[in-house]
Amino acid sequence: MNYTDLVNTAVETGYLLVSNGGEIYRAEESMQRIFRAYGVNNGEVFAIPNLIEVTVRTPDGKPITQIKRVPQRTTNLDRVEQVNALCRHICSDRPRLSEIRAELNRIGERPTLSFPMQTLAYAMAAAAFTLFYGGSPQDAVVALFCGAAIRLTIHFLERFQVNSFFVNMAASFVAAAIALTAANFDVALSYDKIIIGALMNLVPGIAITNFMRDIIAGDLFAGILRLTESVLVATAIALGAGIALTGTRMFLGV
Amino acid sequence: MEIFWACLWSFAACAAFCFQFNIRGRTLLLASLGGALGWLVYLLCTPLQNDIVQYFFATVVTAIYSEGMARFAKKPATEFQIIALLPMVPGGGIFYTMEYCVIGNTSMFVRTGLHTLGISGALAIGVLLVSTAVRMIHIARAHRDW
Repeated sequence: MNYTDLVNTAVETGYLLVSNGGEIYRAEESMQRIFRAYGVNNGEVFAIPNLIEVTVRTPDGKPITQIKRVPQRTTNLDRVEQVNALCRHICSDRPRLSEIRAELNRIGERPTLSFPMQTLAYAMAAAAFTLFYGGSPQDAVVALFCGAAIRLTIHFLERFQVNSFFVNMAASFVAAAIALTAANFDVALSYDKIIIGALMNLVPGIAITNFMRDIIAGDLFAGILRLTESVLVATAIALGAGIALTGTRMFLGV
Repeated sequence: MEIFWACLWSFAACAAFCFQFNIRGRTLLLASLGGALGWLVYLLCTPLQNDIVQYFFATVVTAIYSEGMARFAKKPATEFQIIALLPMVPGGGIFYTMEYCVIGNTSMFVRTGLHTLGISGALAIGVLLVSTAVRMIHIARAHRDW
């Protein structure tokens, strides 16, 4: 039994889960299960949204520890699902570690939506939410552009590795500015519904849902981190839209 | 008829988010249906005249649906839960709170802000209740010999 390989594999599994929007308890439990599947009962695992720590003790009493930072987290539930399926497979069949690594690599390289398709998805979500909040079809058309603009803004700023607080603020500002400008030309548009619909793209729904699930599972630390994250994002969104609103009131007199 | 359209748009919005989060196939359909179901419950609870309670019931139903679908489709429950809860997220509340703040209408600012907090609380407690119940059932099953 190669303990170094085991630790590497477990950390890699946990990393995929945490960095793609899985819950903390899922990551910790998966790593524990991998250890137990290979007969290691003294594995210690600790994870928070941006760090994973794992220690196991070899039979001669030597501890092996690995720490892995999770610098960036995205939401890719397809990967969470795949890793989850892999863990079931590991627990029931105990494949060789090299096999697991190959599978993990395959999951890590699974295709994501291409950038144009992502832009389209953002636009569709914005339009659908605008209609959902009671906007007219004309509002939805403007929201399409707002949604696409949000994705483009995020894409543009991410190339400069701008922090996420500013990214959210800028994206929210751009969406609100487009909606307000459109409303300035066509009074029939209800700019509030357009903005709310478009901004749903940025609202941290995943952080809100996962933070409760983390806290229930007993991972208070992870829960608090996520709560802070969602409050920060909400503040950034409100600030961005607020700046756009104030600006248009001053310059256009809407 | 209005109920139908609202649920349809809820479904469409959830489906668009599924694409963003790379959920495909059957899971996309089931998760988006959860979103429509949640909003249907919200609208059916309108006679209660208290939207925080409406949000609470809608969340509870959505969470139960998500846990059920997770067992049924053998997929993590988060996948369904994150998507299905989206229509209930108080995006409008956050926006109007901010707008009142910008206008300078302090009393409405505080009122809307507290109301939005109340809605978030209802969502959180709804998810909490169902997840706790599910965990209890799990543990009870693991120790059948009690």
